[in-house]
Amino acid sequence: MRMTSLSTDQSPPIFIPLSFFAVAPLFLVLAAVMLALAGSNPFTDAHDPALRAAAHCITLGFMASVMFGATQQILPVLVGSKMPASRLVAISSLLLLLIGTLSLCAGFILGKPALLNLAWPLLGSTFLIFIGASLISLVRATARNDTRTAIFLSIISLAVAATLGVLLARGYATGASLPYVEMISAHIKLSLGGWVMLLTIGVSYQVVPMFQLTPSYPKWLTTVLAPAIFIALLSSAALLWIEPYPYWIAVMTEWLFWLLAIGFAAVTLRLQQQRRRRVADTTLSFFRLGMISLVLAALFSLAAILYPAAGTYLRTLSVLVFLMGLAMSVINGMLYKIIPFLVWFHLFRGGMKSGVPNMKQIIPETWMWWHYRLHLCTLLAVIGAPFWIMAAWAVMLGLLLQGILLGTAVFTAISVYRKNVRLINLVKT
Amino acid sequence: MGSAIKLDVRGLPPPEPFVNIMQVLQTLPAGTALQVQIQREPYPLYDALRESGYTWQTSALADGDFLIEIVHAS
Repeated sequence: MRMTSLSTDQSPPIFIPLSFFAVAPLFLVLAAVMLALAGSNPFTDAHDPALRAAAHCITLGFMASVMFGATQQILPVLVGSKMPASRLVAISSLLLLLIGTLSLCAGFILGKPALLNLAWPLLGSTFLIFIGASLISLVRATARNDTRTAIFLSIISLAVAATLGVLLARGYATGASLPYVEMISAHIKLSLGGWVMLLTIGVSYQVVPMFQLTPSYPKWLTTVLAPAIFIALLSSAALLWIEPYPYWIAVMTEWLFWLLAIGFAAVTLRLQQQRRRRVADTTLSFFRLGMISLVLAALFSLAAILYPAAGTYLRTLSVLVFLMGLAMSVINGMLYKIIPFLVWFHLFRGGMKSGVPNMKQIIPETWMWWHYRLHLCTLLAVIGAPFWIMAAWAVMLGLLLQGILLGTAVFTAISVYRKNVRLINLVKT
Repeated sequence: MGSAIKLDVRGLPPPEPFVNIMQVLQTLPAGTALQVQIQREPYPLYDALRESGYTWQTSALADGDFLIEIVHAS
């Protein structure tokens, strides 16, 4: 797809974030297909190849695509610093991420080491490029706020999580002897608890008051929360390599992490209750669902510590609810604000002084609400999926429909932008 | 320093602060400054100001808000 871009200086060209956002929904469809290819209910076994492939379709194909694109857009807006060589970084990281994720997921589900051997260098390269460019941008940033600190710690967590992921994929491909259990545990902790959670926190500090018209987060919270979560996570991951395993210290670090997460969710929900404009808004509803899911994920994990007999099921549920309840909800909510804003902003700054479409007209609001309801049903089905095959099928159908709906919304916004750029160019000539 | 017009865009959702500031600037009399109170540093606005020939000074206020004083460069 070719898009004419309008210059807006500090902001990257619109094709950069929109290309990432356009690719992401395809991976929700692919995740549904991967789950459907499993012989039996893939949610009953956390190590099922189909579940592993689908989880990476969501984390790498959907989440990383959106977060790569969004980070390139939000760094100039939130901390005043553009990524270096933004076009080169965007194009190379998108292509490597795309091919790497497809190879990895195909390698998992087909059990082909050659595909995993193709995947790990590609994914390693894309993360190296993205992390390097993000760190340069953050170091150069003029802003010295708590959002910058949280995003910085999130990128560091991603660097460790990605390194572990690359080593694991290489290990599966070559059959190398590695401490797989510990590495997988640290990989999940740092990718979800570190990268996703800390990025959500950092962005929320700015975006929740800005778009949802709430009071600001309290300063005492924004100063300590992200560093405290980062320390709890790193400690929790480091303890995995200590012999004999210090069980009670590990339990305390896990409790600390989840209590901090619950604290963040509770403060966010409280701020949303205090918002100035009490009108229905899909982003607000998606965020609220995300925060409730975060509390639920915390309760499942804490229950796993208290009731070890049901630990495996409860931990699987915690990861699923964190991934699809917190991460996907917040991402969907953000996309429905970012995409219309980007289209509006680039048209306005590109020379369209009158007749710029209203932000609410760029993606029909009814679609957003249908997506919210569909996502809620998918999330409810996820909770039942490890126990009931019909719920597992409902998750697959939900992911498929969400991918189609979100993809249609992104392409609708792109077509609105292209139509108006043509109008601007007609006026100029 | 000459006279100043005050504009409070706190509590407005994007893109209203940006639009309101640009609208007021279009009718800003020569030699008059625009003082904007805003909840966060509007980095994208700075590009638009630079491009339109304005200079600005941003001060962080004790309550976490920002005060931006904008004047025409000429």
